[in-house]
Amino acid sequence: MIRVSGRAAPDIAVTILGRCPSPRHATYIDFLDTDGSTIDRGIAIYFPAPHSYTGENILELQGHGGTAVLQRLLQRCLALGAKLAEPGEFTKRAYLNDKLDLAQAEAVADLIDASTDLAARSAMRSLSGEFSSHVHALRERLINLRMYVEACLDFPEEDIDFITEGGVIDKLESIRNELSLLSTTAKQGSILREGIQVVLIGQPNVGKSSLMNQLAGQDIAIVTAIAGTTRDTIRSEIQLEGVPIHVIDTAGLRETVDEVEIFGIQRTWRAAETAHIALILVDATHGITENEKSILARLSGVPQQIWIHNKIDLVNSSPEIREVDGKTHIFLSAKTGHGISLLKQHLLELAGWRAGTEGVFMARQRHLKALDGVSQSIENAKKNLNQAELLAEDLRLAQESLNEITGEFTSDDLLGEIFGRFCIGK
Amino acid sequence: MQFPEIFDVIVVGGGHAGTEAALASARMGRKTLLLTHNIETLGQMSCNPSIGGIGKGHLVKEVDALGGAMATATDEGGIQFRILNSSKGPAVRATRAQADRILYKAAIRWRLENQPNLWLFQQAVDDVIIEGDRIAGVITQIGLRFKAKAVVLTAGTFLNGLVHVGLENYRAGRAGDPPAISLAARLRELSLPAGRLKTGTPPRIDGRTIDYSVLEEQPGDDPVPVFSFLGSPEQHPQQLPCWIAHTNERTHEIIRSGLDRSPMYTGVIEGVGPRYCPSVEDKIMRFAGKESHQVFLEPEGLATNEIYPNGISTSLPFDVQINLVRSIRGLENAHILRPGYAIEYDYYDPRGLKNSFETKAIQGLFFGGQINGTTGYEEAAAQGLLAGINAALYAWDEPAWCPSRDQAYIGVLVDDLITRGVSEPYRMFTSRAEYRLMLREDNADIRLTEVGRKIGVVDDVRWEAFSRKQEAIARETERLKRTFVYPAMLDETIATAVLGKQIEREYPLFELLRRPEVSYEALLSLTGDEGESDPQVRQQLEISAKYQGYIDRQQDEIQRSRYYESLEIPEDLDYRDVKGLSIEAQQKLNVYKPQTLGQAGRVSGITPAAVSLLLVYLKKKYKAKNTKDLGDAA
Ligand SMILES: Nc1nc2c(ncn2[C@@H]2O[C@H](COP(=O)(O)OP(=O)(O)OP(=O)(O)O)[C@@H](O)[C@H]2O)c(=O)[nH]1
Ligand SMILES: [Mg+2]
Repeated sequence: MIRVSGRAAPDIAVTILGRCPSPRHATYIDFLDTDGSTIDRGIAIYFPAPHSYTGENILELQGHGGTAVLQRLLQRCLALGAKLAEPGEFTKRAYLNDKLDLAQAEAVADLIDASTDLAARSAMRSLSGEFSSHVHALRERLINLRMYVEACLDFPEEDIDFITEGGVIDKLESIRNELSLLSTTAKQGSILREGIQVVLIGQPNVGKSSLMNQLAGQDIAIVTAIAGTTRDTIRSEIQLEGVPIHVIDTAGLRETVDEVEIFGIQRTWRAAETAHIALILVDATHGITENEKSILARLSGVPQQIWIHNKIDLVNSSPEIREVDGKTHIFLSAKTGHGISLLKQHLLELAGWRAGTEGVFMARQRHLKALDGVSQSIENAKKNLNQAELLAEDLRLAQESLNEITGEFTSDDLLGEIFGRFCIGK
Repeated sequence: MQFPEIFDVIVVGGGHAGTEAALASARMGRKTLLLTHNIETLGQMSCNPSIGGIGKGHLVKEVDALGGAMATATDEGGIQFRILNSSKGPAVRATRAQADRILYKAAIRWRLENQPNLWLFQQAVDDVIIEGDRIAGVITQIGLRFKAKAVVLTAGTFLNGLVHVGLENYRAGRAGDPPAISLAARLRELSLPAGRLKTGTPPRIDGRTIDYSVLEEQPGDDPVPVFSFLGSPEQHPQQLPCWIAHTNERTHEIIRSGLDRSPMYTGVIEGVGPRYCPSVEDKIMRFAGKESHQVFLEPEGLATNEIYPNGISTSLPFDVQINLVRSIRGLENAHILRPGYAIEYDYYDPRGLKNSFETKAIQGLFFGGQINGTTGYEEAAAQGLLAGINAALYAWDEPAWCPSRDQAYIGVLVDDLITRGVSEPYRMFTSRAEYRLMLREDNADIRLTEVGRKIGVVDDVRWEAFSRKQEAIARETERLKRTFVYPAMLDETIATAVLGKQIEREYPLFELLRRPEVSYEALLSLTGDEGESDPQVRQQLEISAKYQGYIDRQQDEIQRSRYYESLEIPEDLDYRDVKGLSIEAQQKLNVYKPQTLGQAGRVSGITPAAVSLLLVYLKKKYKAKNTKDLGDAA
């Protein structure tokens, strides 16, 4: 579902739906694209201020389509002037507009605190590999270019022709190329369809392959009572309410001399390196042992780790999800399927499919949006090659957009670059 | 002895900060005392004899727009004027002048002596009188007690100064003045957070021993620029050129051979020097690949032969200084009049200040100038002016004033200092201003004179000139927007000359002026109108038309952040109570106690999420009023 909150929500409704639905009535209606074609058909509800969750005008759009369609609808809203909600933004607004009480304010704080860091880390991972190295290369180039342009403005008395020496025109061109490469990759959708990566990890025989089969709803991995059945990583994409989730079954971890198994275990760790979520399986008949603790210690790079206590049917307990010391523990049986829905629900929440929290999906949207901003500014910069101060302004804006992905880069940092590179000053 | 008069404001220090502070307070009608250890050095340029430059010129124009003395004194004492970046856009153009030290000093002294409400007194200040957590006055060297509601401290480089020439060092203030040691000791006792910085000067040269015939001449601009909005070229004394010399490989060799006796390279100096104003030894060590460095030979005045060789600041031993100077072409026979030196001095962490420059620790005590970790006359003057204004406001129980980052470079300066502190002497650059396109020299008066008038620092003469200019701009803008030109109206040849080609439909004149290639002058030639003749008015019309798109965008940006920017944080807030803030953020914020949410966000290491948490907390605790429009989110 997409929710738009703010003064212009009814205007956005008129543009996308052709009219603003009557307040608080579910209206079944087409969602229209720029050219009038239908993006999706679904339910729209309009809540005028102040009688809404946030206290502002709210438009809710609930379609049928999967991620890609939702994605197009979101882009459409953004193009119409909405900005992506910050983590916890709706709740924050609700609070600021006196819609929530004091106790709930504490929850808002938790929300902002917990989700930002995690989501940002996950999102960077989901943009991993080629994509993120492009982003970093882009940042370096932009800083380098700005260094020359700003030096030319602030230090005209130096005996250096910064614009020529810096090859400003070429640099701008190469940044443009880098960006268009990035945006075509993004548009091809490979990145967007990546989804979140969930790795199943644990000692042999704890039931990893069984859980994989449960989640996928089919027999993908071989299950036997022999420890060390799975030798290689096995990947499967499942859809939970339209959200793509990649589940990776791995070879059980143990000391071994078997050469094939050793390779398999190496692959297990490699799979963990790029995962967003690690499900650490434990045999409920034993509970968490020293072995599992050392596995957890090696997974600190994974943004989320969840304890899965499998085989509860053997100890006769019922499915459960609970928090212990900041970690989530889920009790289930991969054999009977009890508790699987708890796990699915939890995965969805982590993916950001719950109102209010920001998950990987939204954080990644933000990144792509930021790159759009960079492109815009770089295009403008190209028109201002003869006006260094306007060129500098466009590049500053490009940097501000990029900062949303890569973190702060202040004007003082930039001066530091200049003084480090050039002998400036009398 | 208790001095019989009681003052509203006492200003300690007669440098560029102190004089602007005292003049501003007195212009506002406050009974003001300027205390200096030496009346002869009021308005002294103790370092290089120039005023302005990129970023700095912007500050001078702002000081001028608020009725300050620096621009006018430069117009009266300037012996070379140039506009830097004249080939680039108006936002980065900046005025720079060489000033005759004696004429400049005289111009400042005259203003001080003739300023109503201002008392001058010569005595070094040794101590401050504090009652509870409030300032009550100062005590001088011979025990005179002066009482006042507010005190502005602008003691500059004199605080605990230590001069280095080679491995020799001695306690002193700038240029032979005594250091304010006891005051520094007293301030240290108050346990205001302090640090140590360093700066340097080059050896001065006797101009009669320079061979100018082999040097490159750098004349001033023609027509001669002026600094003050009220200035005119007729105020300028005789004009002189500067000269450009170059270091060479031999110079660098001499410097390298003397490094074992350099206080910097042997670790005697502990203060941090500026990265942008390196000593010549730093230049050749850090940029070994650069074969030659420029040295600008700047005349110190009309009545002196002394030359300031800008670019070879050094603290090497004197014998090395002689050799290095004489290795430079044109300076083979140069006689050094004064050795170069480095000076270390105390500064107070400006994060201990409010944006009014009042110390957070002691009410009514204001700090301005180099004491806050800045460098440069212009930065000092700007701070002095603001500290003076706020001390005056405080003395009469009026609310403090500080321009915002989108309003003035002064606002950028203050905000940078109080939120980020300094790690080297702070100097202004245009790249520090995110709203650079709006903060131009040419519109400093439009940005500040009106508010200055309200505060009381702008006199009638300036106000009338400003009002006339504003009216002319408004009138002519209106006319340009209302007047349409039609294809049939325009002569084909003139249209082609001005616009590149004949227009195909009607346009308002203002629309045509927005085109980059169309000047106001050329626009007038299209219709044969006379237009406005005042160059300042013409300039505003042109710039505001051409920059409009960018300025509108920046205005948008400012509008969006206004609510957060100005949301006040109560002084007694304990950040440990703010749920979700990291320990590091809590500690930082508890130490620096930002005044607004905007300031908090600029403290290093404070993330947007932390700002959100604070906002939620403030709302909860203090029922922050109406949240305004937060924009649309999806
Ligand atoms: N009773 C019960 N048995 C289970 C459950 N989950 C898995 N098992 C059994 O445990 C054994 C091992 O299961 P697998 O899924 O192959 O275990 P694995 O973790 O993939 O093992 P390796 O691939 O060898 O690392 C099989 O006999 C499963 O039938 C469960 O929830 N309850
Ligand atoms: Mg298996």
